[in-house]
Amino acid sequence: MVRSSRSNLILGSLVLAFAAAVLALWIPLDTQTGLIEKVRRQVVIGDALAPTVAALFLVLGGGLLVFVERKAPNQPKPSLAGLAFIARLLAIVFVSLLVMRFAGPVAVWFVNAFQGGDLEYRLLRDTAPWKYLGFFLGGTLMISGMVSLAEGRVSRKAVLAAVLAVIVMIFIYDVPFDDLLLPPNGDV
Amino acid sequence: MGTLDYIWMGIQAVFQGPELFSLFGLPVSVTIVMILAGFLTGIAVGATPGLAGPIAMAIALPILISVFGYTPDALLPVMGFLIGVMKGATIGGAVPAILFNTPGTPDAFMTTLDGFPMTRRGKAKKALRVAHFASASGDTFSDIVLIVCAPFLALLVEAYLDLPEKTALLILSLSFIAAVIGGSPAKGLISTGLGLLAVYVGTGEDFYPRLSMGSPSLSQGFPIATAVLGVLIIGAVLKELEDLWRRKRDSGEIAVHKDEGDQRLHGADIRRLLPYVGRSALIGTAIGALPGIGSTLAATLGYTVGRARYAKKKRPDAPEFGKGASEGIAATEAANSSVSGANLIPVLSLGIPGNAAAVFLILAAESIGGFNPGPSVFRFTTDSVNPELVIAFGLFTAMMVANVLNWTIGGLFMRSMGVMIRVPKHILLPSVLLLTLTAIYVQETRMEAIWFAVGFGVLGYLMRTVAISPLPFVIAFILGGKLEESARQAFAATGGDPWFLFTNPGAALLMAVAFAVILFSARKKKEVA
Repeated sequence: MVRSSRSNLILGSLVLAFAAAVLALWIPLDTQTGLIEKVRRQVVIGDALAPTVAALFLVLGGGLLVFVERKAPNQPKPSLAGLAFIARLLAIVFVSLLVMRFAGPVAVWFVNAFQGGDLEYRLLRDTAPWKYLGFFLGGTLMISGMVSLAEGRVSRKAVLAAVLAVIVMIFIYDVPFDDLLLPPNGDV
Repeated sequence: MGTLDYIWMGIQAVFQGPELFSLFGLPVSVTIVMILAGFLTGIAVGATPGLAGPIAMAIALPILISVFGYTPDALLPVMGFLIGVMKGATIGGAVPAILFNTPGTPDAFMTTLDGFPMTRRGKAKKALRVAHFASASGDTFSDIVLIVCAPFLALLVEAYLDLPEKTALLILSLSFIAAVIGGSPAKGLISTGLGLLAVYVGTGEDFYPRLSMGSPSLSQGFPIATAVLGVLIIGAVLKELEDLWRRKRDSGEIAVHKDEGDQRLHGADIRRLLPYVGRSALIGTAIGALPGIGSTLAATLGYTVGRARYAKKKRPDAPEFGKGASEGIAATEAANSSVSGANLIPVLSLGIPGNAAAVFLILAAESIGGFNPGPSVFRFTTDSVNPELVIAFGLFTAMMVANVLNWTIGGLFMRSMGVMIRVPKHILLPSVLLLTLTAIYVQETRMEAIWFAVGFGVLGYLMRTVAISPLPFVIAFILGGKLEESARQAFAATGGDPWFLFTNPGAALLMAVAFAVILFSARKKKEVA
């Protein structure tokens, strides 16, 4: 028994609406030259043409989905539970990246506040152990958080596996190279 | 400089490149070592369910570029490693398929049908030997076709196609890829449209970076690594994690089946398998030469054709196809392995990538510089050396070296990789995610790149959720700039003729084929519905 649903119709309609917004709003409002321009008495292709072609691909695809493949068999049906799981996963990634970005500078701020020094993270970003702080904490949080989410519980094994994985990554991407910077040391 | 001189220089570039060490007084070049390293990595990665060749390529690329630098000397070691991974992953995927009924790569699914029943009958080692023999045969055949065909195709393109035709050829390629990947032309077109739209953000010829919404972050456009790795790798990791969570991955014991009886592959076995290997190799090579049609379809077709022949020729006491026939393994593995070499025909002759591995080869070439895959590579200049042509023949040599490794040590290494099934997927996938984000950061050195990659990862996940293949997106992202540049040049060359795609007969023919491909696929889809 094949499953028929309205997934393709909904998806096609959303794509057509997005393509219409791109063609009617985004391209005209956010591109300085038109489809074809006259520059020094020569006709040249403007910056709007290529995105218009891209949007036409979307119109064609959305149109085919709505009018031709609307009743295609075995259409996927995204589940809300699955999307909620991915939202939780992305929240872990988001928080971990924030920890990765700010752990080093915050640690330096604490050291300055308690020991009265005037250290700057920017000057320490290529010095161990400072340069590993953000990557280690953020990376460990990211991996252990995702493993715990997949397992449905927080376990010591997940944290240990994360610590090990992050240490291996430091040995892959940083220890052998002078010219590679681990995140977030290129930004701070 | 004649053709033979170029071939010889390509071979020398691989064997007499920078020496890494010497073995019994013979210098061993760094390219050879990198091909070997890539090949072994590829087998291990292919044998690990949840990992695949492109993931290893994504993680390795920034490290390789950092080690070898941005000089033309880096091209052969880096691309040799990637070619090794591509070939290794192809045979590695059969290991868990045969031993544990779990395909290591999607194209090894059909291998489970006969491979696992053979394991249950105590013939695991023999099944692995059959898979290796068929895979190495198909791969070698496909590489020979590539080496013979790619230069001729490139020369034809250079000789007969002008700017309007080249633009139309790119449109035809995108339409073809959209129509054939994933089984839904509508969804393929959407994926292509999104890829084109993404690559046009922040680019253009005007002072104002188009579609950037006034944001300084968007004004530089999306770095290619963020889009490709985000949609292909991070999107896949998110989807796999969701599937894993859904199944709550059963932690049951892995059944162990003891090998019994003769496990060797005899001459009589090989003679019996050869007709299946030959047919599947032809099917896989023909499919691989067309951009976008993956090895999974080749495996399915090879298996179907093999089954039809087996039904007529089988001995009465032999097992049925799908119940442990070694011919089934041979038909599948020869077909999916012969796609990889032929897939490089459109890459090297036209600059059009047809699969994920080819995307990474182009990414490597673009990152390092000095080699632009496309018809201009095969200019056989006689008065001066065309360095790109030397690299192309160097790549062919690297593929042959990888084949020699495959025939000699590949089988042994492959048979030892059964242990990879025990790598826990729920720990592996988050580690791959962080590895990919780190790989992107060390190339771009700004957190924005990581945010972009996560954004593209979410897009890749959503696309997979609604059964839109991400591959047309990636290929459109790579070809989008080339398409616009070629259209601008063709427009200028035809004196501003807005109908240049339809007034030039060659271009008009290619455009008609592009429309026909879409219409034909859509009609076929409607009939199925």
